[in-house]
Amino acid sequence: MGKAAKLAMAVPGALAFIFVIALLPILIQLGENGDSLHLNVSGGLSSIKEYFAGIGTGDTFRFLSGRTEHSFWNQIWSYFDVSLFYVAIGALLGTAIGILAGVYLGMSRAEWLKRIVELVGALPDFVVILLLQFIIVYIATQTGVVLFRVASLSTDQSAIMLPLISMVILPANYMIRTVSQQMKMTLTEDYISFAKARGLGKTYIVFFHALPNVLPFIKADLHKLLGILMGNLFIVEYLFNLHGVTKLIYSDTFAHGGYQFNLVVNSLLALIAVYAIVYGVLRLFLRGWEKVFIR
Amino acid sequence: MNKTLITGLVLTGFMVLAALFGGYFAPHSLQDQLKTEYIVDENGKGTIVSPPAAPGAEYPFGTDKNGYDLMTKLLYGAKYTIFVSLAIAVARVFVGGLLGMLTGYYGKNPNKPIRKGASLGILNGIPIFLIAWFAMAGITMNPGLSPLLMSILLGVVLTLVGIPSVIAVTKDKTRVIRDRQFVLASHSLGAGNWKIIRSHLFPHLKESFLILIVQEVILVLSLFGQLAIFNIFVGGTTMYFDPAEFHSRTNEWSGLIGQARTSFYANQWMLFIPLASYIVLIVGFHLVAGGLEAVFKKKYAKSAHL
Repeated sequence: MGKAAKLAMAVPGALAFIFVIALLPILIQLGENGDSLHLNVSGGLSSIKEYFAGIGTGDTFRFLSGRTEHSFWNQIWSYFDVSLFYVAIGALLGTAIGILAGVYLGMSRAEWLKRIVELVGALPDFVVILLLQFIIVYIATQTGVVLFRVASLSTDQSAIMLPLISMVILPANYMIRTVSQQMKMTLTEDYISFAKARGLGKTYIVFFHALPNVLPFIKADLHKLLGILMGNLFIVEYLFNLHGVTKLIYSDTFAHGGYQFNLVVNSLLALIAVYAIVYGVLRLFLRGWEKVFIR
Repeated sequence: MNKTLITGLVLTGFMVLAALFGGYFAPHSLQDQLKTEYIVDENGKGTIVSPPAAPGAEYPFGTDKNGYDLMTKLLYGAKYTIFVSLAIAVARVFVGGLLGMLTGYYGKNPNKPIRKGASLGILNGIPIFLIAWFAMAGITMNPGLSPLLMSILLGVVLTLVGIPSVIAVTKDKTRVIRDRQFVLASHSLGAGNWKIIRSHLFPHLKESFLILIVQEVILVLSLFGQLAIFNIFVGGTTMYFDPAEFHSRTNEWSGLIGQARTSFYANQWMLFIPLASYIVLIVGFHLVAGGLEAVFKKKYAKSAHL
């Protein structure tokens, strides 16, 4: 199957998936007095019909925030930029730090360091963020020095550093674990001992013999890395009160007029767009790494 | 047995005991409430006692905003946190493992790993907890169903969203074993498919399944937490209006974290004692998984040349 054909198959598939997810709150409903479940299929079908009917009239791209009606196209860009910024920085910095630290960890014999990295990897993202916020507040109460803002109170007092740190830690941690594991496996290969026998230096072997063979594994793991990052984005935007795409989903989904199916579908599509852009950028970034290290 | 495994087993074992028998040792009952009082001592000095009370002799872990004892809440909520997550993990591995073994064994094209349409990877952009969030969003607030029924519902949802990844992992492992020579030998000696699955595949996979269950428990616990951050609690959410407040109906731990999410400025114990218990539980399971892995994998390790 050609690439174009694959894409033509994937787009309707992805769309259908998004519609199904967005339909869930309509489909799964409590009964009249709240003590039974029932499946509201007709409501779901009519929502989809309205979505497509509304594209022509523009109803699809209007939503309520509180009681105010907004146009999706006027609002989305600022939200989109925030999400794109955090995901892109998290992905690029996380990958760079992850590869370098992973190479180091793959060779080092510091077992305690590996354990700490694995432990942080096992903790859920929101725990790491809550602990970071707590540390900042603790330092502030003890010394009076506020290192970073722990949440955005208004647009001109937005927290930037701490969300960025939170967005970098988790992907970096995942990358470190993948790279160090693959590094360790690669270092057991025969061509490494051959290179060593030829008298090549340790640094040279690591970066020009081992790392090129680790990079393909990183490339294969990009979807997983970005998956972690997107999950993290929800938590970060929520806990730091940032105005990103996910905020549209969690705060305006249930507005004054009830569940806003159109808004959810549009926001999920915007989220997918963020994902696609960052994925492309990340692939280019890794191609840069390959250009340097693969000879 | 190694130190990691023992430490992990002690930690998780302690938590399971607390979940089973915690109700008997709870210092207060769930209905005991610290009310605002004016107390005059023998010197004639008056003090005002009002909730929330900080951790002290009377309330070892302090009370919540409404004056209910936090330790009692934790002890009563533990069974939901631990047993629901365990049940979900077992269900995921049972169903996913079975399907993964079958699809891996009967699947065609063993040498070419099936590549998903490259563009469908894009669906990773929608995190799993979001699917669960949407599934529960319509029914979780003030439901008429019992907390147990709501936990089971959430369990079903979380099991369904978790099964695909278990299938994928098991499928890969099954393929590797299926292509090994002893399976070929057994096949040529006349063993049927069922016999090979039963006495070659499963025995080789059962250790992986055990580790997988423990890892899935950790994943489920993180999902509980992420959902709780967005006010979807195991067993349902009680929502009060004016001002909007969300309370866990079951006192499940991640629910306690979620409802005290903003108290890192003041009354910090309300957030950090549930959070600490939750972290200890996750670390416990993490150590068990690591310990089991170390026990099972010791034999197959290769050493680095550098």
